Amino acid sequence: MENKGLKPLQLALYGMDERSIKMMGMYLKGPCKGIAVVVDEFKAEADVIDADHINAKKIIEERKTKARPIILLSLNKLSIEGTFSVIKPVQKLEMISVLNQVKKYLSAYKINKGSTVKLKELKPSSPEKRPAGSKYIESDELKKTAKHQTAETLSESGFSDYMGLVDGIAFSKRDRKLGASFNPKDFFLGQVQSALKTCKLKGRILQLNLGWKPLVMFPHSREIWLGANDNQLREFAGLALKKQSSQELSLSSIDSETTDFSQKMDEIYDMDHFLWKLAVWTSKGRYPETIDINKPVFLIQWPNFTRLIVTPHAMRIAALLMMGPRTAMDIADVLEIKPQYVFVFISAANVLGLVGQATRQVDGLIVPPEIKELETKGLLTKIIGRLHG
Amino acid sequence: MDRNNIKMGQYKIIFTGPVGAGKTTAIDSLSDVPTVKTDATASDMTRNRKAATTVAMDYGVMNLSGGEKVHLYGTPGQERFDFMWDILVEGGIGLILLLDNTRADPFKDLHFFINSFSEFISKSSIAIGVTQMDLSSKPTINDYHKQLQGMDLKPAIFSVDARVKNDVSLLIQALLFSLEPDLKGE
Repeated sequence: MENKGLKPLQLALYGMDERSIKMMGMYLKGPCKGIAVVVDEFKAEADVIDADHINAKKIIEERKTKARPIILLSLNKLSIEGTFSVIKPVQKLEMISVLNQVKKYLSAYKINKGSTVKLKELKPSSPEKRPAGSKYIESDELKKTAKHQTAETLSESGFSDYMGLVDGIAFSKRDRKLGASFNPKDFFLGQVQSALKTCKLKGRILQLNLGWKPLVMFPHSREIWLGANDNQLREFAGLALKKQSSQELSLSSIDSETTDFSQKMDEIYDMDHFLWKLAVWTSKGRYPETIDINKPVFLIQWPNFTRLIVTPHAMRIAALLMMGPRTAMDIADVLEIKPQYVFVFISAANVLGLVGQATRQVDGLIVPPEIKELETKGLLTKIIGRLHG
Repeated sequence: MDRNNIKMGQYKIIFTGPVGAGKTTAIDSLSDVPTVKTDATASDMTRNRKAATTVAMDYGVMNLSGGEKVHLYGTPGQERFDFMWDILVEGGIGLILLLDNTRADPFKDLHFFINSFSEFISKSSIAIGVTQMDLSSKPTINDYHKQLQGMDLKPAIFSVDARVKNDVSLLIQALLFSLEPDLKGE
């Protein structure tokens, strides 16, 4: 029965005392020689649990979270979803059959995991359809390291250096908002937004060609790939595009069967992350012309800050706006911060569709809710200081 | 927030969520002392193999300037320990709910924990961290927000890698700013 030339299945044992572990190890070296071996937990491909152990239920629950095949040994025939079962005392043929089933399962999983990744997107999965007790894993998601990188937090001091300065805006004066706006359509941001709209409407993977670096949009998985690094993008984002460049703009379809992105998985960004940083680098502390700065704005939901660039005071601004609508200037006054920090936040949140503006005149008359000072304010400030430190 | 406990210096942040969501790891990433884990009931064999043990409650501490401390409590994830939850949340500043995106039905977990802690949430605040999104990208953060529509609850919901201090820190900041946006820590 020895499977020459094939790597034996590596098993970890649970719910067994030392004697049982030794016996099982010998059994696998004997009747099941070459098919399976006992290894340390961290090396194992599958788990074997004595289901008659006093803590078996707990052990099974715990091992189910590890996304490895589970073989249950029991005096009774068990039918637990997501597991393989072998009746005790273990019969050679039954054991070998189950071990081979586990091997087949693992090799199918590995083929799927190691396959060449084309531009095909994963279909959105419905969590309701997931089998109970299983761990749902998308094998390619882990390769998208840029997509899952933690947020970069900008302090006030680093903001100007990071953003670059916009000439002609005096944020400290009372008429500070004058000249502090920008039209997204004049920048790369506007072209990307327009292209994304088309991409979503068509529901196809498209490449934006602008005479610069290629940008590929994946509408269903909401991902973006750009053939440029952050420094290049930051520089390009701030440049006003020449009017004629819009004529050079084109969208082309991507052949999902022939285009291979398997080597570029770590350069794929979440669409929201990409748009947010592009808006931040385009705004540089200005607000988009599409927003009426004299009218209150409201925030639909908190941005996913852990995967975005956290601009100065962005968390405070978001928390304040979640309490009720306010004008940008009111936010700046209440939080005692420069308007440019409010403008950059509004620019970025607006691109993600998280910001709205009251259209009725009466909405502008509503007094924003008063912030009540908590008696624990001192403590909370200390905790924030500690977290920033 | 329970004013009496706050006055007595019992400052707590509570971490809750299903088994394996990353509560222990999140507390570990913030605590100034090694996290204390209670009710480790692994079998001898499991212990010998250094397997993860069943944990009923985690405890860590954040030291603040002036000698004050914030206690970080991780509730047991298993429902059979839910009798402890009411005791643990007493005097808590707010609730951090961690959800594992690879579980069969993370929305069920979301509703279960929000309902279980509804009284505490109404008195304090909540921020939600969705873990394991690098293994399973669905449901998305927007999907979680949609689940809460109509519940009169609009908490911060972030993707979180519990091993990354910055992620956990931002989640707690959102919790605190939700209580008072006017806090200055910068």
